[in-house]
Amino acid sequence: MPACCCIKRWANRMRLINHVQEGLANLLSSKLRSILALLGILVGTASVVAMVLGGELVTNEALKQFKTLGTDLLAVSVNDSDQGSTSGMLNNLTLPDIYALQTIDRSIVEAAPYAQLYNSSQFNGHELNTSILGVTESFAHLVHLGLASGRFISTLDGYEFFCVIGAKVNSQIKRLTYLDAVGQQIQVGKNIFTIVGIAKPWPENSFVYADIDSTVMVPILTSTSLSKYAAINNIILRLTPDANIEQVQTNITNYINQHVADKRLFFRSAKELIAHMSAQSQIFTVFLGLIGSISLLVGGIGVMNIMLVSVVERRREIGIRLAVGAKRSDIWALFLIEAVMLSLIGGTCGVTLGVIVAYIMAVCWHWEFTLFFMPPLVGFTVSVAVGIFFGYYPAYKASQLDPIEALRSE
Amino acid sequence: MSLLIDLQNITKVYRSGESEFHALKGISFQLFRGEMLAIVGASGSGKSTMMNIMGFLDHCSTGNYFFSGHNVSRLTDKELAVTRNQKIGFVFQSFFLLPRLNALQNVMLPLFYREEPEALARNKALAILKKVGMEKLIDHRPNQLSGGQQQRVAIARALVGEPDVIFADEPTGSLDSKTGEEVMKLFLHLNQEEGRTIVIVTHDKGVSHLCQRVVALKDGLIVCD
Repeated sequence: MPACCCIKRWANRMRLINHVQEGLANLLSSKLRSILALLGILVGTASVVAMVLGGELVTNEALKQFKTLGTDLLAVSVNDSDQGSTSGMLNNLTLPDIYALQTIDRSIVEAAPYAQLYNSSQFNGHELNTSILGVTESFAHLVHLGLASGRFISTLDGYEFFCVIGAKVNSQIKRLTYLDAVGQQIQVGKNIFTIVGIAKPWPENSFVYADIDSTVMVPILTSTSLSKYAAINNIILRLTPDANIEQVQTNITNYINQHVADKRLFFRSAKELIAHMSAQSQIFTVFLGLIGSISLLVGGIGVMNIMLVSVVERRREIGIRLAVGAKRSDIWALFLIEAVMLSLIGGTCGVTLGVIVAYIMAVCWHWEFTLFFMPPLVGFTVSVAVGIFFGYYPAYKASQLDPIEALRSE
Repeated sequence: MSLLIDLQNITKVYRSGESEFHALKGISFQLFRGEMLAIVGASGSGKSTMMNIMGFLDHCSTGNYFFSGHNVSRLTDKELAVTRNQKIGFVFQSFFLLPRLNALQNVMLPLFYREEPEALARNKALAILKKVGMEKLIDHRPNQLSGGQQQRVAIARALVGEPDVIFADEPTGSLDSKTGEEVMKLFLHLNQEEGRTIVIVTHDKGVSHLCQRVVALKDGLIVCD
C-alpha cells in the first residue's frame, strides 16, 4: 500500500527532489554516522565489483590463447589400441592416409598432422634443449604460427634436412654465435639440418601438446625417418564453422579403424574446451561474487542499524510531521529515501574503488585489462537493492509510530 | 453560528496488559464556528486526550464524533492524516518546530504534505509570517529565535493551511508572562478580527479568563461548561 502510493507520488518530480534534498540535509546533519554507514556499503560494493571483475579478467586471460587460434579446430591424438599393440609401427598413419582423411567429411577444411620426437640436438657441439616436431606446410597456418625470418617448411621439402626453429631455440643459438641463425646448421642424431626459418614466439596452450618455441620443426617425412619410434600420432583439423563435431569424430574413427588399423582416438575440440573453461570460470566468478556479497551484506546491516538509531532519535520529528498532516507513506518515503541515498552514494564510490582494485590486480599479474560492463552494473544494482532491503524495515517502523507517543518523546 | 464539532458520549480507554485506564468516561460537547474555547483541568483529567481525539491524532474508543456534519469516529489512519492536514492546525507548548528547517520552511511543511506547488506554498507562508510579525526572520532556524518568536512561527504553521479550527496545547506554558501575553493577544486577534475557531488547552487561569467559553474536565468528565 505505501509502496504504490509512493510510486504514484514519485511521478511528481518536484516532490522527489524535495524528498532527496531533505534526505541529504538529514544525512549531512550526522556526518560521522552517515560516513560509517556509507563505508560499509562502499567496501561491500567494491569487493563485489573487484572480485567479479577480477574473475572475468582471469577468464578472459585463459580464453585469449584459444581465441587467437580460432574456435573451429579439432585435435586428434592417435594411440595404438591395447589389442593391436603387437602389430607395431607397420600400422602407423601415413601422409596419404591424412590426405584421404580430408576428403571423408565435407566439414574438414584442412588437416595438419604432426609427429613428435625427443631426439637430442646440438649446435656447434653444444647441446640444445629442444624437441623435434615433424610438420607439414599447413601446420603454421593452422596454429597461427608466425615467422620472424626465413621461410616455413614446405611440401616440396619432402625428405630434405631443412628445419625451422622456435623462438626459444633461436635465443639459445644466439648465445653461441653472432651470426644470424638462418643458414646455420643443427645436428640431430647423426643428421645435419640447415635452418631455413625462425618462428615468432607462440603462446603455449593446452590445445597443441607441444612447446613450439622450444622445438626444431622438420618436414614430417624426414621426421619419420629419424627414429623407428617416430609416428604421425597427432592431427589438427580445421572444420567449417557449422560442422557437427560429433559426426566428424565418428567419421574419422570409422575411417581409421577400417582403412588403417585398430586405433584408439582422442579428440579435443576448441569449441568444447572453450565452453568447458567458460562454464568453469563462470562458477568461479559467481563464487567470488558471493564472497564479496557477504561484505555487502554486512554493509547493509550497518545501514539498517544506523537507520534504526535514526528513527529512534527522530521520533519527535516524526510526531511533528504526522501532526501537520504527513501520511504514514510520507514518513516511510522519508526514511527509505535516506537509506537508498546512503547506499547509492556508497555504491557509486564502491564501484569506482572496485574497478580501481581490479585494474591494480590486472597490472600486478600482467593481465590484459578490459572494463567489462556487467560487474560494475551488478555491483551498483545490488548495492541499491541492499539499501532498499535493509532500509525497508526501519522506514516501516518509523511510519508505524503513534503520533501522540512520538510527540511525547524527548 | 454553525456547529463545527459535535462529540456524543465519547470514551477513551487505554489498555496496558491487564489494567485499563479510562481517560474519558463519556464526553458530550459541542463547538461552534468562531468560538474561542479554553479546556481546563488538572493533569490527568483527560483534557489532552480530548484534544487529541478532536484533533484527529487519536481514535475514540466508543461514541460518535461529528466534524462539520460528518461522522468521523471511524476514519482510517490515512484519512485521519488528510483531515489533520486540511482541517486542523496545532500549536504546542514546546513549539515543535523542525530544527533543521528555517522559519519559512517550517511554515511551508503542511502545504508540502498537501502537495501544493512550491511557489504558491511559499507565497502563502510569507503572507502568514507577515501576519504574525515574523517577516524579517524567515530564514532563521528555530535555535536562532526566542521562545515567543518560535511560537509565532508555530502559529503561522498552524494557520497556513486555512484550517477550520486551531488547537493549542498550553501555548504559553514555555513562555515568560510578557511574551505569553503577546501570544494570547495574537490568538484573540485571530478570533475576534478573523473569526477563527480556537481551542486552547491550559491550566493557566490568566489564559482561560481571556476566552469567551471555558470547559473544565475532571477525571474524564466535563464538570463545568
